[in-house]
Amino acid sequence: MKSVRVVVVGAGVVGFSTAVCIAEALPLCSVSLLAEKFSPDTTSDGAAGIALTAEFPDIPLERQRRWFKNSFDHLLDIAQSERSPGAGVMLTSGWQIFKNVPADKKPLWSEFVIGFRFMTDGELKRFPDHKFGQAFTTIKCECSSYLPWLHQRFVKAGGRVEQRKVNSLQELNGYDVIVNCSGLGSEKLVRDTEVYPIRGQVLKVEAPWLQHFIRDGDGKTYIYPGIHSVTIGGTRQEGDWRLQVDEGESKRIVERCSALEPSISKASVLSQWVGLRPGRRNPRVEREVVQLRGRRVPVVHNYGHGGFGVTLAWGTALDALGLVRQCLHEMPQQAKL
Amino acid sequence: MRVAVIGAGVIGLSTAQSIYEQYHSIISPLTIEVYADRFTPLTTSDGAAGFWQPYLYDKGKVQETKWNKETFDYLLSCLSSPESVQMGIFLQSGYNLCTEPATEPSFKDIVLGFRQLTERELQLFPGYNHGWFNTALMVEGKTYLPWLMDWLQKRGVNFHHRKIESFQELVETGADVIINCTGMRSGELQPDPELKPGRGQIIKVDAPWLKHWILTHNFTNGVYNSPYIIPGSRLVTVGGIFQLGDWSENPNYTDHKRIWEAACKLEPSLKHARIVEDWAGLRPVRSKVRLERETIQSGATNVEVIHNYGHGGFGLTIHRGCAQEAARLFGQIVEQKRTGPKARL
Repeated sequence: MKSVRVVVVGAGVVGFSTAVCIAEALPLCSVSLLAEKFSPDTTSDGAAGIALTAEFPDIPLERQRRWFKNSFDHLLDIAQSERSPGAGVMLTSGWQIFKNVPADKKPLWSEFVIGFRFMTDGELKRFPDHKFGQAFTTIKCECSSYLPWLHQRFVKAGGRVEQRKVNSLQELNGYDVIVNCSGLGSEKLVRDTEVYPIRGQVLKVEAPWLQHFIRDGDGKTYIYPGIHSVTIGGTRQEGDWRLQVDEGESKRIVERCSALEPSISKASVLSQWVGLRPGRRNPRVEREVVQLRGRRVPVVHNYGHGGFGVTLAWGTALDALGLVRQCLHEMPQQAKL
Repeated sequence: MRVAVIGAGVIGLSTAQSIYEQYHSIISPLTIEVYADRFTPLTTSDGAAGFWQPYLYDKGKVQETKWNKETFDYLLSCLSSPESVQMGIFLQSGYNLCTEPATEPSFKDIVLGFRQLTERELQLFPGYNHGWFNTALMVEGKTYLPWLMDWLQKRGVNFHHRKIESFQELVETGADVIINCTGMRSGELQPDPELKPGRGQIIKVDAPWLKHWILTHNFTNGVYNSPYIIPGSRLVTVGGIFQLGDWSENPNYTDHKRIWEAACKLEPSLKHARIVEDWAGLRPVRSKVRLERETIQSGATNVEVIHNYGHGGFGLTIHRGCAQEAARLFGQIVEQKRTGPKARL
């Protein structure tokens, strides 16, 4: 009895989340995960991993809400359990503040996080340059722990992991379904010209007295206390492929963050990091069929999450699982036996 | 004028600070000496989690609520100062959980962002069906006390490591005013049947993924006899013991087990926390804080004493308000001495 062979390309948070969803839901499939880079060298590893998201222009709101809700509920379940420290998933409360009152005061995710409300005048006093703010409790998911945790879960579900750079889908011989979670790599792998880097630089500082996140609504200045350090940032440089740390940028980050939280200037810097968010107008979560060496092979895409990979990984993974099921449904009988 | 402060916990040190702040430029010379047999990190203030929160209800003691608010506002203003980290002050949010509907606490308008818990939040805490969320302050004794001592030392305050056995002893050193901040052991200087130990025991653990304090309230068991988990800057304080009348300062295994089981039920992830140490301390419990003047006859002379003790489990919470009030009482004494015996006829 030949089981269906599924291959997932990419070992970031989207790749592993998708691989786990498929392996756990479809035990009759044999699932492999191939990637050039694994934790701690993926884009996901440097991300602070705070669950909140932007609104994508072309995806129906209901679908985006479902992505966020499914991801949040999955992570909340982990945060509230014994698995929390091992998986690197924790509850975090704080404030998102705006210099100008935004048009959308209650974003699509506001009903899914915990305790969402507008900040009081008393709370805004600490931020004299900001006129409006939102207070809520959300999840922080640290991929340096979460990815190895997912890896274990994937292997436990029968998955197979292989370190290998995939340069073209043509190299993927012997698979019945291909799942593409290659993030920024999709620019080359599937020649998607709509994918572009959004360069982000962050510092990890030692400030164990900080318990709340503070984020400027423009997404360019933020302070995210984590388990062992505080991530401060950031930058959003579109089309910028530079992976080296820019010292001038670091200095500006520290200045902007210290303006919001003065004690940051007393925090010692532990490390600096640059990551390239896989930018795209909308995440690509859809399927197609490609010609691979004379065979028509279904491909499910799940990439282009920009700066919201951690936030949306599980929700989009579930969608991708649904698309894989559709592929299986349409397969000729002999391949499914 | 010579001022002798007895006690080097948060009350003694902050009272010395308030007196210095308000009078050092008015009275010359102003000599302040602090006497204590225990200094940081061995005081009651050092063992406490350092969480600003009064008891849920002040039961009519509006003066204490006023002092609590004054302390909160003061600490909040210190947050933006460059010394906030060295003072051990930072913001932290969290949950107060009850097993039955309850009236809103006396501090609801003092803290930041006070609100009821949502249904979703209550689901995170099975067994609790009512509660509140707010942002409050932490002021960690092990950091705050050294900062206060340093502040005082820089300004010429001297410290004496010695146990004072009587007010008379200090009169003999030439003290004009004695500030009695002896907390739990005030009864040794002057019997006070209203002062009793409220023994507490805690466990300090390493669990840096926890960023919220969680306090539970059981109105049958009474205050602090229900589990609480309070993350600090380095370690998390886990507790829930309040034994009135128990003088033991040694942690015991029965209480450790009780605290630990209850806390792990409340927060399952604690199972993975590394236990660092156990500690027990005596809260100086009193029907109300004793903050008042007393003129004590000592041989041929009278000495002015300002009592500032009996702050129960809320010493750090109320310290600044009380220190400022004690300084105000000191001001009355100064005024009286200035106007001299003529005014007393």
